This record gives sequence, structure tokens and C-alpha cells, in this order.
Amino acid sequence: MSVVFDAVMLLLLIATAITVARARDLVAAVVKFGLYSLVLCLVWQHRGAPDVAITEAAVGAGVTSVLFLLTIAKTARSERG
Amino acid sequence: MTLLGLDLDYVACIVLFCVGLYMLVAKSNLIKKVLGLNVMETAVFAFIVTSGMIDGGQEPIVVAGSAPPYTSPIPHAMVLTGIVVAVSVTAVALALIAQIHAHYGTIEVDELKELP
Amino acid sequence: MRTFALALVLVVAATMVIGIAGLPPHGDPDGPVHTHVGARYLEQGVAETGLRNLVTAVLLVYRGFDTFLEVVVIFTALVAVLALPSATRQPPPPRGEGAAASRREADDAVPVSPVVFLVVRLLAPFIAVFALASLYRGHVTPGGGFQSAAIIGAMMIALGLVFGREHAARLVPHGAKAWLQALGPLVFAAVAFVGWRLTGAFLGFPADEAAYALREAMVVVLEVAIAVGGAVILAQLFMALDAPS
Repeated sequence: MSVVFDAVMLLLLIATAITVARARDLVAAVVKFGLYSLVLCLVWQHRGAPDVAITEAAVGAGVTSVLFLLTIAKTARSERG
Repeated sequence: MTLLGLDLDYVACIVLFCVGLYMLVAKSNLIKKVLGLNVMETAVFAFIVTSGMIDGGQEPIVVAGSAPPYTSPIPHAMVLTGIVVAVSVTAVALALIAQIHAHYGTIEVDELKELP
Repeated sequence: MRTFALALVLVVAATMVIGIAGLPPHGDPDGPVHTHVGARYLEQGVAETGLRNLVTAVLLVYRGFDTFLEVVVIFTALVAVLALPSATRQPPPPRGEGAAASRREADDAVPVSPVVFLVVRLLAPFIAVFALASLYRGHVTPGGGFQSAAIIGAMMIALGLVFGREHAARLVPHGAKAWLQALGPLVFAAVAFVGWRLTGAFLGFPADEAAYALREAMVVVLEVAIAVGGAVILAQLFMALDAPS
């Protein structure tokens, strides 16, 4: 069970990271990065690191994403070139 | 889980790190670069947390009802420090990017290079 | 550029794969992570620090310098962001094609959905209670200063996003704002000097049984300072990046 959970989560992590890299729309990239952070936080909770998981959920998925979105709102939304 | 003598959890961290590194180097958009930096950072954190885990271990909180083995608390403390430093770096980088856009009207490195 | 990036990634990946091939397997109870200083923290930590959450014990008591400088790092980040002439000027007309498109995208702002409005308003008190609980119970459950700082900061940012920055700005008393931003480094330095007076070591914590209450008080003061200072700094970073352009 644990091995299956780990394998699924790690594959999901790699898949979300690649979709972050591929997204042309920056807002989509940031939302996918938030998803990536949440999956990572589940992995850490599973690996006996609840303190780290709480912080990653609040900072990685929450604060960092908002800071990115604010900057995108001020600059350009789509990646060129 | 191992394959060819390699620990697959560590391999997953390396793959994540490489995705982040690719974004940092290959993408021209500055925001994409900072996103790549964040992916790299989280990959390193995942590596450190993984190295501190122990088979059948509990979180390192010694209360009634918990019993050894505990996961090592040092990697967790290091990663907590790292997460806060990562958000600081991201905030400064994003503020600089907003500033670059205000001055030059673009955040694409290709276009910034061609500016006089 | 893409070829160069791929080549670089391949070289780095190969180097790291060679690196992990020499590492002991993770999860092994006899691995170096679990037999060196980590084992001592697990055995002696509760007796030496009085903290049952050993992550907090490592952060504050054993590795206090790391945490002190970390608090300084996030404070420095805020100073750096505030020192930039925050983009108060109108940006020049964007160059190149695609600029018009990004202009149009920036213009059609979406009003806040009533669902989001209601959910944030309903959840905010619960998030605040969770943050305070994770601070108050941080010695026996997962949680502590940084965790509650992150949660309170995220809550303030959510409120600021939904109700507007003026509303969120009111959560931080204006007169005390500068002091609250610097709270972490200031209190950490003060506690460090108190520890110096008591034990002769900078950031030292009195270890004998008699000083139990004093040690407890130092840890509580540090935790509260990290939580409040960290949350205020995260909220201020949000405010600084959200400054109208």
C-alpha cells in the first residue's frame, strides 16, 4: 500500500513539474505549481514530516503562488518565444 | 524501492531537480525561470526529507502513545529553514521582475538582451 | 539555448545519479542520518530541552543560530523588496507583438466570486484558530513558530485578496508596523543575549532543572516572536508586491 502510494505520488509530482515547465500561460503554470506543492506536502506528511508539510502547504501552495500571481498581473500573462 | 541499485525515491528527486534546472536555463521568461528555481528548491527539500525518513518511523514528537523509531528531526528543521529562505528569494526576485517590466516593458531575456 | 539546456541537464543528472549510487539506502535505521547526532537528539532531546516536538527543539535550542539567521534572511528580503522604488509609475507601453494582447488581458479584471468571498470569510476564523493552536500546542503536536507564521500570513493574504488591501492592512496596527516587521530578529537577539548572561554562550539555554521555567519562557517568547514577526513580514511582502502600478 505504502509503496503504491509513494509511486503514484512521485509520478504525479514529476507529471505536474513537467506540466509547469510546458505551460505557455503563466497563470496556468503557477496554478500547476500550487498543485505540485500540495502533492509534495502530502508526500511529506506520509514520510513522517508533518511540520514541514504544514509549512509547505501554507507557504509553497499559498503565499508563493499569490506572490507569483501578483507579479504576473503587473507584467505579462503569456510567455513569448 | 530500488532499480539497478539506485534508490527510486532519490531518482525522483533528481528528475524534479532536472525539470527545474531545465526551466531555469532554457526558458526565456523571467517568471518561468523563478518557477524553475522553486521546483529545484522543492526537489532538494524532498531529497533532504527523504534522507531523514526511517522504515515504519513516526514523526519526531515524543508524547505518550508514540514509540521509536522516529524520523530524524534534523532534516525537518533544515527544510523548514529552507522553505522560509526560498519564499524570501522568490519575493525579492519577483519584486525585481516587476521593476524590470516597469523599466523595459518586457520580462523576456531574449528581448532584454536586444535593448540598447 | 534549448540544446545547451538539455546537455547541461544531462550532465548534472549523470553526476547526481553517480552521487546517489554511493548513498546508503534511505529508511535504514542504521544509516548515518540516524546514528550520529540525530540519535542523540532523539534520546536526550526531551530531557535537555523540555520540548516534546523535537523539530522545534532542534530549531530553537540545538540549532538556534540557523534559525536566528533565517529570521534575519526573511527580514532582509522584506527590506530589499521595500527598498525597490515599488512600481508606482505607469509601465511604459509594452514593446513587440503580443503586447496588445497582454494589455487586454490585464484590463478585464474578474470580480470576486460570491462563493470565494463567503468561503474565505467563513474559513478565516478557523484558520486563525488553527494557527494559534499550532503555536500553543507546538511542543506536543506538529506546529510551532514558523508553521503558524506561515498559516497566519497565508490567512492575511487571502483576506487581502478578497476584501482588498486596505482591509488587510488594518490587521497590522499602523504605529507598530515597523516594530512588528523587525520583531523576529530583535527578540531573537534579546533572547540570545539573555542566554549569554545566563550560560556564557550566545543563544545558550540554561540546562539545569532549576531553570526549567526560565528556559520554557525563553522558548515561548521566541516562538511567539517568530510567529507574529513572520506573519507580518509575509503579509507585508504581499502588500509590497500588490502596490498599485
